Amino acid sequence: MIDEQLIIFLSNVLAYVAIYLMVNVSLNFEYGFTGIPNFGKVLAVAGGAFVVGAVPGRILASQLNLFAGYRAVQDNPVLAECLSTLVQVKPKLMESIDYIEDNAVVVDCVRRVLVNDPLLSISLLVASVGLAALVGAGLGFIASYPSIRLREDYLAMTLLAMGEFLRQVGYLDRTLVGGTLGVAVPDPYGWLGVFRPYASTLIMLTVAVLFFLYVRAVTYSPAGRVLRAVRDSEMAAEVLGIDVVRVKQKVLVVSSMMAAVAGALWAFNSVAVIANTYDRFTWTFWPWVMVIIGGAGNNRGVLLGTLVFVILRQAILTYNYLLEPFIPFSIVWLDRLLFGIALIIVLIIRPQGIVPEKPTPAISFEKIRKMVQKS
Amino acid sequence: MKRKRQFMVFIDPVIRDAVIFASMLSLLTLGLTLNYLTTKVPNFSHGSFASIGMMTMLTMTAAFNQPAYLSLLPAFLLGGFAALALYLLVLRPLISRDASLVSQMIATIAFELILIAVLNIYADYFTQTFKVQSRGFLIRRFDVRILGEPGVFIIAPALAVSTVFLLYLLLNKTRFGIGLRAAIENPSLAGTLGINVKRAYTFSWFLAGGLGGVAGSLLALWFQGSPNYGSELLISIFAAAIVGGLQNIYGAVAGGYLLGLVEVLGTRQLGLTFGPWITVYRPLIPILAMAITLLLLPQGLVSLRLRGVFKQVQRGGSE
Repeated sequence: MIDEQLIIFLSNVLAYVAIYLMVNVSLNFEYGFTGIPNFGKVLAVAGGAFVVGAVPGRILASQLNLFAGYRAVQDNPVLAECLSTLVQVKPKLMESIDYIEDNAVVVDCVRRVLVNDPLLSISLLVASVGLAALVGAGLGFIASYPSIRLREDYLAMTLLAMGEFLRQVGYLDRTLVGGTLGVAVPDPYGWLGVFRPYASTLIMLTVAVLFFLYVRAVTYSPAGRVLRAVRDSEMAAEVLGIDVVRVKQKVLVVSSMMAAVAGALWAFNSVAVIANTYDRFTWTFWPWVMVIIGGAGNNRGVLLGTLVFVILRQAILTYNYLLEPFIPFSIVWLDRLLFGIALIIVLIIRPQGIVPEKPTPAISFEKIRKMVQKS
Repeated sequence: MKRKRQFMVFIDPVIRDAVIFASMLSLLTLGLTLNYLTTKVPNFSHGSFASIGMMTMLTMTAAFNQPAYLSLLPAFLLGGFAALALYLLVLRPLISRDASLVSQMIATIAFELILIAVLNIYADYFTQTFKVQSRGFLIRRFDVRILGEPGVFIIAPALAVSTVFLLYLLLNKTRFGIGLRAAIENPSLAGTLGINVKRAYTFSWFLAGGLGGVAGSLLALWFQGSPNYGSELLISIFAAAIVGGLQNIYGAVAGGYLLGLVEVLGTRQLGLTFGPWITVYRPLIPILAMAITLLLLPQGLVSLRLRGVFKQVQRGGSE
């Protein structure tokens, strides 16, 4: 019992560390290095997830001619097996199948096809994530366009509003991702059988590490110094001939891409998209908490912040029955209370976070030493 | 009297929605703008002050059976104390440590996390203790009726207008109000002239939070309330404040009324024109208003001079 719980705890921690590392690294790229207060991080994450909820299932189903109903796909043994008993219960399925109304049926059939076809599964994963990245880039650009030239408080307010908009539309409009009920998502890891959760976590971790290394490489390069110049003094950066607005737009587009990839992978990981779970607490405020507590403008700090936050939060959620006798209210509100207070304390007492930002050397000390020895 | 009744009956229910929503939105926008003028930080937890007022109204009426309008006083005090806590315990230490604007904004978000947690814990406790629903509650039945109309339909706009009038008197006719304006315009100069800037700011934060609480408690008398209502309203408040220009409180009130009316009536008109499917895009209205204002008129409504409108539009894009 205890061991089983520990395994659930550990696998949850790994999955959440992976997903939040992706989002946090992109937020750190925006805020920590460039100084853009993106309070609408949820926009790109939700965008990526909604792409996965809305597009791949529809495309695969229409490729399989599923929408034309059972009669049209009778010849396909896999689909016939999947639909034959259901048709007797719901005769409407003979003629036509709707993606939202009969979502469970459609996705079940698509999954059965995907289980036998690893190549299709992998290309589905890659294509969906790619599309999500494109959509994320577009969202990042559009959301910041009205206020990118203005002061950071205006930018923060606009981005927050934009972030909330997509969730509300996804929640209220059934045609996009099923509204209140959400949609199931075709499972690209289904062919791996029992290894599915591990494969999903492994992919997410790999992508997270890639993002981490990418941002690290950028921030150690001359481009990274441009970003810091924009952050520390816009006017000085402009004097030096840096197009501040363009730099900010580029950073927002790239980091929104990363966040959208994170959203897409998360949707594939949880094999469902429910619009209301993409709220500003989960995908904007928690990443901010992690980045600030860990130390903004610092890759190692963000990694540490993510680890600390995810482990603490998962520990609270997993072992809540141990805490329950001591607190008189539902455990879901405890994490907001605790991390809200922790964030304020960190901001007042140690605004640089656990690991403060260090100046990055232009070239490595080894090279400098060699150059000094030569001369 | 009979003719009057007839006239009253013909008021479209959506008009009531619009008037109540717009009046209360303007009070909230006024508070947000007032805070922004003093400390130059947009308060991301301002919406939750309204939720505090909402829960106060629910508690006073549904649990303690008090008259509805009596709970405006505790709502004002509780909202004001929440704002005071944010200003004195969170923002002032940050300002005295020269924290950046973004740090201050994040601190208000952290405060929002705490408020949401406290409000929801209270809502759970409330349901357990009084066996009354505390999420998605509707308490119109506790409202009084004035001239055959729901009281809040009369009192909400009256309160909004009289608040603006009293604030005008306070800011222009009293020594303290003129001092407050001076403290906003130029804090260091006002300080040298012997005005207690910190006290003026503390007062304005208390007032803004209190007005937020009052707005929330009146909203609870008409709309379906919940401990997260205010937090969801935040987008509309920001949009109204930006449309109003974040420059002075009259612009804020104008922006609040404009956006509140446009949001409710516009959604209905769109629904009638294009069919009900479009009404789910209601959240798009404040966001579009925000984007258009920022692109064309970044200083907001208050910068609109009728003679110079066209010049403004031409210049606005490049600003």
